[in-house]
Amino acid sequence: MNARSVRGALAVAASLCALTGVTACNVESGSTSAGADKSASSAPSAKDLKVGWSTIYLTPSWMQQTLKMLQTDVDKLKSAGKVSSFKTFNANGDTSQQIAQIRAMIQQKYDVILVDAGSSTALNPALEQAVAAGITVVAFDSLPTSTKVIRVGTDQKAWGSMMAEWLAKKLDGKGSIIAMNGPAGVAVSEDRWSGAETVFKKYPDIKIVSNVHSEYNLAPAAQAFASAYSAHPDIDGVFSQGGALSAAALQTLVKQDKKLVPITGENYNGFLKLWQSKQKEGFSSLATAQPNYLSVIALEAAVAKREGVDVPQDIDVPLPEITDDNLGDYAKPDQADDSYPINDLPQADIDKLIGK
Amino acid sequence: MRERLAVAARGNTDLLALAALLLLVLAAYQHYDSSLLTPASITILSAQFLPLILAAAGQTTVMLLGGIDLSLGAVLALAMAVFATYEAQGAGGVLAAAGLALCVAVAAGAVNGALVAYAGLPPIVVTLAASFLWGGATLVVLPQPGGQVPAGLVDAYNNGWNGVALPAVTVAVVLGLWRLLRTTRHGLALYAVGGNEHGAYASGLHTRGVKIAGYALAGAFTGLAGIGLAVQTGSADPTIGAPYTLNSIAACVLGGISFFGGVGRMRGTVLGALVIGLLTNLLLFTGISPFYQLIVQGVILVVALALKTYLTREAAV
Repeated sequence: MNARSVRGALAVAASLCALTGVTACNVESGSTSAGADKSASSAPSAKDLKVGWSTIYLTPSWMQQTLKMLQTDVDKLKSAGKVSSFKTFNANGDTSQQIAQIRAMIQQKYDVILVDAGSSTALNPALEQAVAAGITVVAFDSLPTSTKVIRVGTDQKAWGSMMAEWLAKKLDGKGSIIAMNGPAGVAVSEDRWSGAETVFKKYPDIKIVSNVHSEYNLAPAAQAFASAYSAHPDIDGVFSQGGALSAAALQTLVKQDKKLVPITGENYNGFLKLWQSKQKEGFSSLATAQPNYLSVIALEAAVAKREGVDVPQDIDVPLPEITDDNLGDYAKPDQADDSYPINDLPQADIDKLIGK
Repeated sequence: MRERLAVAARGNTDLLALAALLLLVLAAYQHYDSSLLTPASITILSAQFLPLILAAAGQTTVMLLGGIDLSLGAVLALAMAVFATYEAQGAGGVLAAAGLALCVAVAAGAVNGALVAYAGLPPIVVTLAASFLWGGATLVVLPQPGGQVPAGLVDAYNNGWNGVALPAVTVAVVLGLWRLLRTTRHGLALYAVGGNEHGAYASGLHTRGVKIAGYALAGAFTGLAGIGLAVQTGSADPTIGAPYTLNSIAACVLGGISFFGGVGRMRGTVLGALVIGLLTNLLLFTGISPFYQLIVQGVILVVALALKTYLTREAAV
């Protein structure tokens, strides 16, 4: 009996220690949320806004760059007195966790919720609840289907058709190609591919000999491409819908010393650098980008909305075009492969997009 | 008799420590969110935790049999997809959709069980392979996020139905059914086969049948979790299930379910799932940087597990 109560006490004590740790961490970061006690005002105003960003992933370099650009804009808005606090929530790939984050932000009376959605449908009820609570909700990059939130994105179908159109023209409308797509069941990947498919249907002489699904990561993409390529070594081109996929395909061709067929791309620096170095050997591509400044447009749109500006519900940001001619403006030979070179969007362009 | 009492006490020390941890988490939570104990909060939180609790209940059933289910997330997503793609019209339609989704999940579980029982392969291998099988089947049913759940049902589930927290009621009903089942021959057979398969066989139990039935029951729990998640989110997503596989195992282990089978209680699992769910929410409130949240979460889990092992080992001496 005695031993048991000792063990019980020990259990409680250890748990307490663990929780004290949690509280201690909180004290440190508590100072950053100056406006935490301020309740959300119902009247539109853009003063001392409490802003939170919930993202499905934070670790990929694209997200890190996005956070950096967003933070710069937050600092600017802070010194203008429009934003008082900014917090990032990382769902680490777990959509249920992201729902919890949005509910937590509603309960803590955030003024603005930015979201990079892990699922195009699953967050809708939570986001709509936030809107109903008077919170300005702006989604960017990976978008939910809800029409009640402001959505800042690029047209993923246009992405696919732009790439497919370029490739079809490059091949004079005939030849066999390998398609490199993202993971099955992911909305972005399906959308880009459906855009490409509609274009390829117009060119009956273009044969898709293999349709590969892979993570948007170099290692698995390289493996996936290598096995498809060994089955079909006589292809005339590669439709790729992501930079790491394009880099994987091009690297494989270079390593095996094969003919450098046209491969569509993205502003993934590893691909841009390789493209640049192989340009003399006749390699040609067209790349676009999911610009990191989507986050900045989203934040600016939220602030403008609080100021009473009539912000459009859907903000369609044009896709940049990286061609054989302007490649030099984008490729950054001195930077890591795993970065996404892009320049800031001028404030005038942002204002135009958000209806100012 | 004395031995049995000692065993019961040991189980309770375990659960009491876990309950104490839960209370601590609740107290800390209350500090950040004073509306915690209002009906609205209870509804929202139970809506959020139901899928994890039920998924963990499914995992518990498999673990009590001495197995482990790595295909749980995939089966969950499959049930979710079947439920949300069925064109449900009115209450009858919803019930038909739920029935269909449950049948699919139970069938998936039974297939897993049959493979484990008859192929004689380790459950971890079988269910890993099965996770690809069910993952692929989910993509056939629902190639990308979509499907629909009647808006009224979504609202009733998430915001309460005439003031009743439907998810909490569902969990209570499922736990009640489990309690009943546990005392029947089938429930005891489950523990017996998990604890000592050869002994169970020697005493005349049809161990293969027990395994298949156990995995099918796990499928039912998982299917319910998938339906819950579909109702919570108002739709289905073929890739949303994956995190539930590991989270359900974490909840089970925290709740005192043994990896070697035959030992553990469902109420422990529920406590474990609640601790994990509340803890992640609590960390959101504290405003710790996202990466430190993962560290703190990991540390608390390790401490809780180490403590649990220490407690049970001490008691066994």
